[in-house]
This record gives sequence, structure tokens and C-alpha cells, in this order.
Amino acid sequence: MSSLYRTYGSFLTSLFIIMVAVWIVALIALPQINMIERAFIFEPRGGAAIQAQVDVDRIYQRLSTIKYDIAAIKQEAAGGGGPVNPFAPGAKIGESNTIGPAAGTAPGLSQTKDSAKQRIAKLRAEEAELSAKLVRLEEDEERLKAEQEAQKGYSLRNFTTMSSIHFKIFVMTLLYSVCVTLICFVVCYPIAYAVAQTTNKERAALLMLGLIIPYAINELLRIFAWVMILATQGIFNVVLDSMGLLSFADGQGIQWVASNGAVFCVMVYAYILFMVFPIYNTIETLDRNQIEAAKDLGASTWRIHTRVVLPHAKPGIAVGSIMTFMLSAGSIAVPGLVGPGLHPDWFSQVIYRNFFEAGNWNIGSAYSLALLLACMVFVFINMVIFRVGIREIAR
Amino acid sequence: MSVASKAGGPAVSQSARSFGVDWGGVVLNVYIGFFFLYLFFPLAIMVLAAFNANDTPSITDWRGLTLEWFTGRYDENGDLVVRGLPQDDRFLQGLWHSLLIAFGVIAVAVPLGLAGALVLTRLESRGTTFLYTILVSPILTPGIVLGVSTMIFWRDYFSVEAGLLTTMVAHSVFISSYCMLMFMARLQRQDRVQEEAALDLGASPVLVFRRITLPFLMPTIFTASVIAFLQSIENYNTTFFAIGSSWTLVTEIGARLRFGLSPVVNAIGVIFVLFTICAAVLYVLFKQREKRRTIR
Repeated sequence: MSSLYRTYGSFLTSLFIIMVAVWIVALIALPQINMIERAFIFEPRGGAAIQAQVDVDRIYQRLSTIKYDIAAIKQEAAGGGGPVNPFAPGAKIGESNTIGPAAGTAPGLSQTKDSAKQRIAKLRAEEAELSAKLVRLEEDEERLKAEQEAQKGYSLRNFTTMSSIHFKIFVMTLLYSVCVTLICFVVCYPIAYAVAQTTNKERAALLMLGLIIPYAINELLRIFAWVMILATQGIFNVVLDSMGLLSFADGQGIQWVASNGAVFCVMVYAYILFMVFPIYNTIETLDRNQIEAAKDLGASTWRIHTRVVLPHAKPGIAVGSIMTFMLSAGSIAVPGLVGPGLHPDWFSQVIYRNFFEAGNWNIGSAYSLALLLACMVFVFINMVIFRVGIREIAR
Repeated sequence: MSVASKAGGPAVSQSARSFGVDWGGVVLNVYIGFFFLYLFFPLAIMVLAAFNANDTPSITDWRGLTLEWFTGRYDENGDLVVRGLPQDDRFLQGLWHSLLIAFGVIAVAVPLGLAGALVLTRLESRGTTFLYTILVSPILTPGIVLGVSTMIFWRDYFSVEAGLLTTMVAHSVFISSYCMLMFMARLQRQDRVQEEAALDLGASPVLVFRRITLPFLMPTIFTASVIAFLQSIENYNTTFFAIGSSWTLVTEIGARLRFGLSPVVNAIGVIFVLFTICAAVLYVLFKQREKRRTIR
């Protein structure tokens, strides 16, 4: 702190600190705390309280209509005489059974006045009755709401009421993500090694370009390319058709996108390059002489990798695994766009449904928190396995 | 091994005579070849389908070469026959939304990242690691969690409905962290002697910041802005939860993919691909030049 103050003076120092504080509080901490708070507040979805509220609302609506009708009739009677406007407000807005017949047919002034009085009286009676009912209903509503409030409050019920289906989806999503991570690592390690160890400059640049282009192309387009391949009329089925393994003529096209396997494959493709670059970055810093020395001393290829390259690449592997896992576990793009609605839900889709279809934000928050915790656990496990600190992970 | 020997056999036979075939290298090369085929084949299909006159994106059912998906087509009466990219208002509007969000993100994330990096590199205290962990935690948080938490927070505290603003904020949460890491990398190479000399000679702290620190950080401010811009434009997972009823270019592409495929999306894809290739070539050339300079 003293160094900051010495160089930049009190004004800039306090400005920087305020900015960091705002960042932490308003962008990071409060939203998370708010989400966590919601996750632990159970929101009972009792039908009774909602029904009472609807009834009360309906009575209020009717009461205001009656008031309006009375005013309209009074106005009509006062300004009355002459030809009665068939489109008088009362006729239009009030209910036809109370005032409908009188409005259009009133021939003379006195008759109109009489019927107006009658109608007002009738409406007043209804108003009184409804008001009495309203008091009762509002009491009911208060009581039901209070009961609900009493049930509300901090609890673990959002988690414990997680249905077994959702829990299974949660576990499956995490398992799939771990598999994606493992496959990506196995596929990417040789690539990262080869690119990092290429001595020829042009070749290295070309390889790098070949990795950067697909990496930078939008995630959605990479997914879309695979949807085209796996679609029922897609390339994969056409190839199978031409090989005689299935025939389109008989309508045998396989709906690949309707399976979790397809989602899994596309996920590997979509996130594989997030594994390559971190590993590449660490292997690139490895001194080639170390590998040469190991070779000269008679180490086998296997031993060179397990004893020299892999230990050096540990931080990169940790970063790559964390990124790949996090992206796959939290991906709404891949399961949402590959055969939408055709395959079983992934956890991200369950979260989405809770927020935007069921409208149950607290359960949605609880599920998001579960996902966040799973990712934190994964990060922690990686830090322990690869013995790296947070500073080496986020660089 | 047998596959590798077929592919690389004749080419390496000469070197084989002198010091033995490097089988490992051959296998690795074949493997790299397959890997790049795996990376580029789907993209090539997508690009090709943008030029197919078939109105479901496909390359197997070829109905003739066309540019209609890029330009649209009118008949002689001036009525729209084929709705191409320029006629698609939602995409254009989405692009506009994306740009608005991205510039907002640059305006928020770059200064925050800079402030965070300055505080962290100069904070000589034990709390640094803790502060650092908090500030980089958004990078390690799944995108949908960031989107969700930002959306609820703004609704609950400020009754702001999900939309462009919440999306901009949700993007800024993690893009600020990326910017901070970039600034920290640069600041670690900073020689503080210049600043101290300026202070000794009587310059005010604000002047030192403006004339020494900022110019030193200028290249990083530029790259951080570019990265922030690209990250924001490209983002889908966070945006999807924070955008509400509005839309950006990418969420609109997503919506089209969910409700039936259209070659117009392929046309956008081609534009994205061209743009990306240009940017990537520039980046690699720039990197190489920088490397050469540091070696010298």
C-alpha cells in the first residue's frame, strides 16, 4: 500500500482503491451473496394463498367497475333527456344483466330517471355485499400469507427437495464434464507438445495459426458445424447410407442429435482448444536441452514425458483441465443447440428452466450454487493434484 | 504404427539409411494431420453450405452455387424472394446491441482491470493472495452462474429488468479479471526507477501516472480493449441468462439454431470465419515480429 501511495499520491491511490472496492462489492460479492441467500430461502408454492389473492383482486376489480357504472348512470341521468346515446358508458362497460336492457331503450326522461335510480340501488346493494366479502377474504389472505412467511426463511429445502431426476442430471453432467476433460487432455497433450517443440519457425507459425483460427471462431458456429454433420439428413448419415449401413429410402436416418452422446462429442470439439493452449504455453518454456539430456542418458520416450515434460507442464494441465471442465459443466450452448429438446436435459438446462419457465428463482439459485460449488471443488482438487497455487492457475 | 508407415514410408526412407527412421516423429505428424482434419473439416462444411442454393443448410444435397444468402434476392417487381443477410433486421439489430455491450464492457473492464492490477502489484501485504483470489474468481466461475447472479442482483436491488445493461455488467465481471491479469503481466516488467526519478524531480503523482505509467501501459490497454471486445461479442453462455427479452448477434444465432436451421446463419458463419482468419494471421505475424525483436 505504501508503495502505491508514495508513487501515485492520495488522490489516485484512493481512486484505485475505490474502483477495486466497487468491483469487488458490486460486481462480485453482492450478486453472489444475493444468489446464495436466495438459494437458502425456500419459497413455498402453496395454492391457497395465491387463490385468495386472485379472489381479492377480482373483487377489487368488480368494485371499481360498479363505482364507474354508478357514476356513468348518474351522469347519464343528469345530462339525460333527449335521445339516449346507445353507446353510453354504462351500457358499454357495465355488465349487461344489470343495466344492459335499460340503456338502449329508454324512451323518455322520467322513465330513464326511474330506471336509473333502480339501477343505482341495485349496484349499491351489490357493492355493500362485495365489500363485506372483501373484508373476510382479505383476512383470509393475510392469514395464509403469514403462514407462508412462517414457512419461509433460511433452510436447506431448496437442495433437499431436489428431485432424484434433477440430482441424477447433476451427477451425470459432472461425470460427462470430467470425461470431456480427460479426453481433451489425452488428445491435446501430444499436439501441444509437438507444436511447442517445433524448431522450424515457419512450421511453428503455421501450426499456431491452425490452432488459433478454430479457437477464435465463435463457439456457436463450431457447434452448428457439428449439428450439420449429425443431423438426420446430415453428412454422417449420408456417409453411412452410401456405405450401405442404413438406407434413407427406407427412412432409416438416425437422429444422432437426440442422444447425450452427440452432445458429449460436440462438447469435446467445442472446448478441446481450451486444453491445448495452456499446456502449450507451459511446454514452450521447457528448455529443450533437458529433453536432449534425458535422451542422451538413455531415457525412453515414455520416461522423458513422465519425468521431464509432464512435471514441467503441470500448471498448464491444471489450467486446461479447469477451463475445460468449467466450460463443459456450465455450457448451455452445446446441450441447448444440439438437438434442442430431443435429448435428456443437462444441468444447465435445468437451471434455465427454473429461471425462465418455472419462474422459481430460488430453486434456480440453489442449483446454480450447486454448480458453482462443484466447480470450486474441481478447482481445489486440481490445485492439490498438480500442487499449484492460485497464482499459477490464473495467469 | 502400420498406418504411419504407409503414410510416411517413402518420404523418410532417405534419412532412415543414415540414422534410423524417427518413427515417433512420423506417428506424431500423422496424428497432427488427423487432428487438424478434425478441427477444420466441420468448419469447411459449414462454409461450403453457405453457398448452396438449398434452403436447408447442407452440402450433400447440392442445388447450385449461390450468393443469395449473403445478398438476398428480389424479383423484377422488387418483391423480396429470398431473405438474405441484409434483409434480416434482427441480425443487424443484434449486431448493434452486441457492439453497444462490447463498448460498454471496454469502458468498465479496462479501467477496473488497471486499478486492480496497480493495487495488487503494489500492495505489500499478506492479504494480497486473498484479494487476488477474489479478483480472479470470476474467471473460474461458470459463465451461466455469473449471468444468473447478475440478473437476479439487478432485479432484486435496483429493479432493473434483464437486458443490455445487465448483460454488459455480467460480461464486465469476468472480463475485468482478464484485463487485470494482462495489466499485471505488463506491470511486472515495469522499471519503477523512472517513476521514482520523476517524483524526485518534483512531478506531481497525477503527472507521473499520466506521463510515465500510462504510456508504459498503452500497448496493454490496446490489447486488453481488443480482447475485452472480442470476449464480449463472442460470449453466449453468460449473455443467454442476462439478456432477458433483448438479444445480441450471438444469442440471435443461437435462437435461429434452436428453431430451425437457415443458410443465413452459414452466411454469418462465413463472415465470422473470414474475420477470424484475418485477425489470427495478423496476430501470429505480430507475435513473430515481437519475438524476433526480443531475441535481438
